Parts: sequence; C-alpha cells; structure tokens
Amino acid sequence: MSIQIQQGKRGLTDPDTARVILDAIPAEALDSQRKMNYFVKPRGRRLSEYEVLTVYAQPTPDWIPGGLDWGDWTQKFHGGRPSWGNETTELHSTDWHKHRDPAKRWHAPYVKDKAEEWRYTDRFLLAYSEEGQVRSIDPFWRDEILNLYLGAYIFNEYGLFNAHSAPSRDTLGDTLRFSIAMIGFDKVDNAQMFQMERVFLSKLAPGFPESTDAPKAEWTKGSIFKGAREAVQDIWQATYDWNESIWSAHIVYDALFGQFVRREFFLRVASHFGDTLTPFFINQTQLYFSQTKGITSDIFFEEGLANDAEFGDYNRRILRAWTDKWLPRTTRALQDFLGIYAKLPVIAGVTDKVSVEQALNRVFDDWKIDFADKVSYKFDKAAIIKTVLQGMK
Amino acid sequence: MSISAATKAATDALAANRAPVSVNAQEVHRWLQSFTWDFEKNRTKYPTKYKMANETKEQFKLIAKEYARMESVKDERQFGSLQDVLTRVDAGNRVHPKWNETMKVVSNFLEVGEYNAIAATGMLWDSASAPEQKNGYLAQVLDEIRHTNQCGYVNYYFTKHGQDPAGHNDARRTRTIGPLWKGMKRVFSDGFISGDAVECSINLQLVGEACFTNPLIVAVTEWAAANGDEITPTVFLSIETDELRHMANGYQTVVSIANDEAASKYLNTDLNNAFWTQQKYFTPVLGMAFEYGSHFKVEPWVKTWNRWVYEDWGGIWIGRLGKYGVESPRSLRDAKKDAYWAHHDLFLIAYALWPTGFFRLTLPTAQEAEWFEANYPGWYDHYGKIYDEWRARGCEDPASGFLPLQWFMENNHQIYIDRVSQVPFCPTLSKGASTLRVHEWNGKKHSFSDEWGERQWLTEPERYECQNIWEQYEGRELSEVIAELHGVRSDGKTLIAQPHTNKDGKLWTLDDLKRIDCVFKDPLKAL
Ligand SMILES: [Fe+2]
Ligand SMILES: [Fe+2]
Repeated sequence: MSIQIQQGKRGLTDPDTARVILDAIPAEALDSQRKMNYFVKPRGRRLSEYEVLTVYAQPTPDWIPGGLDWGDWTQKFHGGRPSWGNETTELHSTDWHKHRDPAKRWHAPYVKDKAEEWRYTDRFLLAYSEEGQVRSIDPFWRDEILNLYLGAYIFNEYGLFNAHSAPSRDTLGDTLRFSIAMIGFDKVDNAQMFQMERVFLSKLAPGFPESTDAPKAEWTKGSIFKGAREAVQDIWQATYDWNESIWSAHIVYDALFGQFVRREFFLRVASHFGDTLTPFFINQTQLYFSQTKGITSDIFFEEGLANDAEFGDYNRRILRAWTDKWLPRTTRALQDFLGIYAKLPVIAGVTDKVSVEQALNRVFDDWKIDFADKVSYKFDKAAIIKTVLQGMK
Repeated sequence: MSISAATKAATDALAANRAPVSVNAQEVHRWLQSFTWDFEKNRTKYPTKYKMANETKEQFKLIAKEYARMESVKDERQFGSLQDVLTRVDAGNRVHPKWNETMKVVSNFLEVGEYNAIAATGMLWDSASAPEQKNGYLAQVLDEIRHTNQCGYVNYYFTKHGQDPAGHNDARRTRTIGPLWKGMKRVFSDGFISGDAVECSINLQLVGEACFTNPLIVAVTEWAAANGDEITPTVFLSIETDELRHMANGYQTVVSIANDEAASKYLNTDLNNAFWTQQKYFTPVLGMAFEYGSHFKVEPWVKTWNRWVYEDWGGIWIGRLGKYGVESPRSLRDAKKDAYWAHHDLFLIAYALWPTGFFRLTLPTAQEAEWFEANYPGWYDHYGKIYDEWRARGCEDPASGFLPLQWFMENNHQIYIDRVSQVPFCPTLSKGASTLRVHEWNGKKHSFSDEWGERQWLTEPERYECQNIWEQYEGRELSEVIAELHGVRSDGKTLIAQPHTNKDGKLWTLDDLKRIDCVFKDPLKAL
C-alpha cells in the first residue's frame, strides 16, 4: 500500500495501515531492560515514579558534580558567564542530583493535592457561610486585627514567594528545581488564600474592606511588621546565593517568625475571639509548612548538604554562618511583631506575657530540634527570647 | 466591645438570605497586582537592556489553587487513557518500529526544552516587576515542570510497553554521545536561559513556542497517529493546551517593553537572532525526524514549514506585533530555503554517524525513495544514489565491516560543525545553503556554516565556546567512546544504535565496531 497516509487514517485503527505496522514489529522486544533510568540510585528500596520522571532531566555537564553530560555550555550570558555554574552557591555537593522530595511529588501528584485543597476550601466556605458562623467573630478582632495585620501578612508571604524565582533559575539540580518551584508556589498560594479570606469576609460582613490598601500601608509604613519587611526584602532581593535564599527564607526566617505569627498568634488567638475561619486558612499554610520542611530538611540535612560525604563539615560551617546572619534579623522581626499585643486586651493564658513567652519557647524549641541541632548551631534561647519580649509593651 | 455596624449588617443579611457563598479565583486574582511594594533594592537579578513596564497585565488570571485544579483535570484524562484503554489494546507496542525509534529522540529532546523552560520562566518571573506579569510566568514555570514530566512519561511508557526499550530507558544518559545533542542544547537549553532576560523570552516564547511548537508538538501527533502511535498524541496534545498561555506570555513580554526606547533599537535584531538560532536546528531536525523517522508520511516537511513557520508565524503572528514595531525577521527568507534541503543534508550525516545514536536509523526504502523524489525533485540523484551505494556495500550488516562514515573519509567529504548552532554540515555534499567559513580566536579554530550564525559569533565569540564532538573525541576509537558513554544494551555488548529497523536483520555489537577501527578526527586540524 502507499506510504502516503490518507487524511485522518490512524495506524492503530485503520486495518490496512495497522497490518503493515504489525508486520514490521519484532515478535519479541529487542531489550529486556524495562525500567527507565535503571542507572539512577533510588532513595528507597525501589526507584519511584517520581525519581524516574525527574532525576537527570537536567542536562548537567560532569564538572557540576553529579552531571552526566560533558563539555561546556553552548550559549552563555553576555560576557561569558555560564548557564549554570558551581560558583552560584557557596555550598558544595558531591552530587547535585541527590535531593529527593520525601513526598515524591512530581507535577501530577502536586497539582492533584492542591486541587483537592481548593475544592475542599470552596465547599468549606459554602457551608461556613450557610450556617452563619461569621456571626461569632468578634468585630474588633475582625475589623482591626484581621483586616490590618493578617492583611499585612499577605505581603510577607508574597515577598518570600518571590525569593524563589532566582533559585528556581539558578539551582544546580532537577529534583532541587522542582522542589524549589513548588515550595515557592505554596507561598504565593498562602498570600492568595489570605486575600481570599478577606474577600469572603467582605461578602459576609458588608462593610469589611476587601481592598489591600490599608494592610499594605500597615506592611510598608507600620511598626508591627517593620523588622519583618526589612528581613523579607533582603531575603528576596539582596541574597544572590540560591542556597542562602532557601536557607534564610525557610530554615531561619519562616521557621521562627512565620511559625510564631501563624501558629502562635493567629491560630491560637483567633479561637478566643470566636474566629473559626482564620484557623481554616492558617492550617492550610501549616500543611504547606510541614511539606516544605520535608523538602528543605532533605536538601540541607538527612542525606543532604550538611551531611555530604566530602563537604559536610565545610557546608555546616557556612550554614552556621548564614544562621548567624539571619537570626538577628528574624529576632528583630519577632520583637517588632510583639507590639501587636499592645493592641489586644490582656487575656490570661492567651495574650499575657507568660503565654507569649511560652509560645516563643515552643517555636524556638521546635527550631532547635528541627533545624539548629542538625548543623550543631548553638544559640542562647533565653537571651533571644528576652530580647524578643522587649517588643511587648 | 460593641457590635459593629458590619456585624449587624452580616446578621441582617443572613436573616434575609441564607444562600451559601464562596469566592472564585477571579475575585482573588483582581487584587494580585497590589501584592507588591516599592523598596530600594527591588530590582531583578537578571539584568536586561529593556525595561519591562510596572503595570503589565496577564491574560489568564489564575491563582495557584485554580491552576492546580485545571491541570489536574487534564492529567486525569491523559493518564486515564494511557493507563487504561491504551495499555489494554497494547498501543505502546503497536507502533511502527521506525516511529518507535523517532520518539526516543523527540520526546527526550523536547523534555530538555521543557526542563530548561522552567529555569527560563523562573528568570522571567524574577525580571518582571508587575505581579500579574510575574504570575503569568509563574504559571508557566509550573507548566514546564508538567511538560518535563509528561515527556519523560512518554519514554517511560515506551520503555515499559514498547518493542525496543533500549534508548527510551536511558536517553537521559546516552543522548550526550551523538552529533544532534549539542545543537539541541543550544536551541532548547542554553538559548532559553543564558542571556538578557528579554532576549531569552524572545527565544523561548516568541520563537520557540509561538513558532515551533505547532510543527513540533502538533505536527508530531499527526505523524505519530499515522504510524500507529496513540501514546504521543495523548500526551502532546495535553501539553499543547498549556502552550497558549506561553505564547500569550511572549506577547505580553513584547507589550511590556513596547514603549521602551531600547525596543526600537534592539528588539528586531534580538528577534532575528532568536529566529535564526531556533530554525537553524529545528528546520532540519524536525524535517528529518518526520520524513526519515516514519514509515507512513503525512505531508512533505516543506509544506508544513511554509504553513506554520512562514505564513502563520512570520506573517500572522508577527503581523499582530507589528503595532509594537516588530518586523518579520530578515533571515526568514534564507530559512525558507533551508526548509527544502537542509533536513536531507542532515540525515546523510546522521546516518553516517549512526553508531553514536541512542536509536535505530533506517535507510530510505525504494518506496520512500519514490516519495522523496516526487516531493523533492532531484532527491535521488543527490542522496538516493549514495544510499544505494551504502546499502550495496552492506552498511546494515554487521559482517560487512562497513560504516558510511568511512565513505565520507574515502571521498574526502569533511563533516564540520557550526560553532554557533553546533549543527554538523558537509560543505562538499550540502544541497542546502551551508558553506564553510573558518575563524581563529583564542588559539582555536572555529567553523561556521552560514552568515547569520557567523555574525552572532563575531559580535560575541565568548558566548559560543563550546567544544564539539570532534574536538571531544579527537584521536579516540569509536567503540571505545560508545562503551564509555553507555551506548550498549542490557546484554552489555549489543549497541543501542543500529543502522536498520528490520526485524530479521542482525544487530551490531561493540566488537563489530571495534573491528572497523574507526578513529575520530577533527577536520579543523587539517586546515
Ligand atoms: Fe512546555
Ligand atoms: Fe511552553
């Protein structure tokens, strides 16, 4: 038959075409290796679908550790800077393709999870509004605290989100690139969800402003978020080492400041003011925080950079130096934020000094176990908390 | 605390109407543009000579969660088809062998483009200042992660279900051996990520996506279907649904810089360079993949090219940007000439170098020779005769001891590599426009095949220093290089690459190659 296919004929279904094709196919497969990327070292016992689809997608030359390709880049930046280069980070690795997201998320599982969270958010809001839960929110809490300060926190998340653009461009591995883009995406999602809460409130409580104007003024000019804003601006735009961006944003700043603001302030105090809505949104961000912690722990701890067979000691030194740089800025951010308690009534067990101190202790204790200890970082918790508490007027 | 007016209003509203209320994505998105703020250091880490406007909007207006919902709906359909009915009807195996081989290259090379597009759009997300414009690029970052995984999935699927898993199962390692790879990196890897951010956007979105995704992603599905492959259309058409967003991003990039003075100075030059760069590789490589990598033919490549590249893109798409001062690239006419013979020229070289592939190649059959001659008059006298000679000398048979590469050497046909595009060419055999130009710089000789690329190199030689395969393999014996770079099958001796797809034909081994004792020589050294 003619090899010129007739319009619309498909080789699988057109009988004449299919016959020619079937005739050409060998009776048995020509190779027995049916595992794609069989040469990738699996993290678990078997190569996961995530590893098959992700590892070595990046065409890295072998002078970037872990790469399978050879030679130079075929086009460089003006002046000759390489497409990707070891000099973009102070940290060293024996294999930049080694990182694994413990949740094994490639694109499909990642968007599937988020799509479920979106559908559930929609159904939750419908039910919440239908039964009128909004009536129980204390109006002072809603109109002052949520409006201004949860509103201003949107900018915190948005700034941190933007700290992921350059690392998404510059990082040296494929699993790293996926992970960094995803944890960045979660941050803009957080910002959008808090704005969604504002829009929702404005529908249920006519008069509540959905506009971002007042919160933005609070973020850019107010005193409560001054330290936070300065830290976020520097994480976003004054940090050029992509590992330092991720370390400063997630391991130091968000693990302390973010955790305090979300979990110890909004989540805890909201319930006291009859606010059952904010905890719903905060708990989404806490889910993302925990998934991000899985990723960043794998990048830096576990089998990651701090424990690299060849460069572990050196990397730990750098990571401690970066912590020295970012911890004081984070402390300042916390100290400024504590000014918010002056706007609230003193409620025993919730907003009194003892409770705030306990909350700070919880955050720093978690931080010590989850992060600081992993690079043998020593810090004087009591002294830091004392400094932070000076922000409570 | 007194009940505020708002709470009373909420209570009253509820008394009158208990309808459930939610918030849709657009109601959130319309605030996005206000999410940024001014501060002293707020500037990009990837400088560009253009200035992107602060108020640039995007067209797709997605928020993160809505993006995820839309993509996961598409995923359900696509993976549902692949894992259910297509597996039951053995569709992964019932593909013409020539096409099974073609997809080893097409899917893996496209994966490289998708992968680098993640980094490229990460850079653009950094470069743009308007939150909406950032958001458009951000959605593309995620899309390109999706496409990377999808392309990988095609190779993964053929590895699991296909007739020849070798090459599909290790393309990420073996692709680096042969002559097509470095050129691929130029257009789909470094060209997207290394340079002025807007220049990269022009490469990726305005040319790569707006111009070449139609022939690449859409035409490939037609050739696939004709040759029995329903896996590729299932995946690639799903990829294509995201590409509209990317073309819109490219459009918005131009809109965002349109009022900048730099645009009137540089935009058309950058566009011309980007177009030439992309076409220099894709025009021959896609044409070759379709026409020489299939049994059933859809239409001559030159027709596809004229419709999509010349008329649709060069005419309509660029025409739409005319109001922003964008002109059709000056190199378009030279490219149109390339679209006729360049892929035939390249296949001659690709076949001669068949042992360095991660796929099996096939000489045109008598039936195909007829089809080529009918569609490209003059084909037989130039190419067909050579293939007949190679076949007569037993180039398909491992016992023959004959490699077509030897024929090139015997007849003093040197194969050079264009430094800028990394595309190989043979000046004495080209029916297309390629001619040899040589320059010396930094103690090294550099060859070029056309004026447009040569010009790019003369302006900025430090951007194109990459060594080519001749320089890399110089003095080394062929089978040794292939063994070192893992070009063998799971039995440890049979080559992944083969010079035929005949099911009864013998397969070449490393030993068959070794006996021939073919040693790499860099033709530039002889000059
Ligand atoms: Fe894509
Ligand atoms: Fe794209």
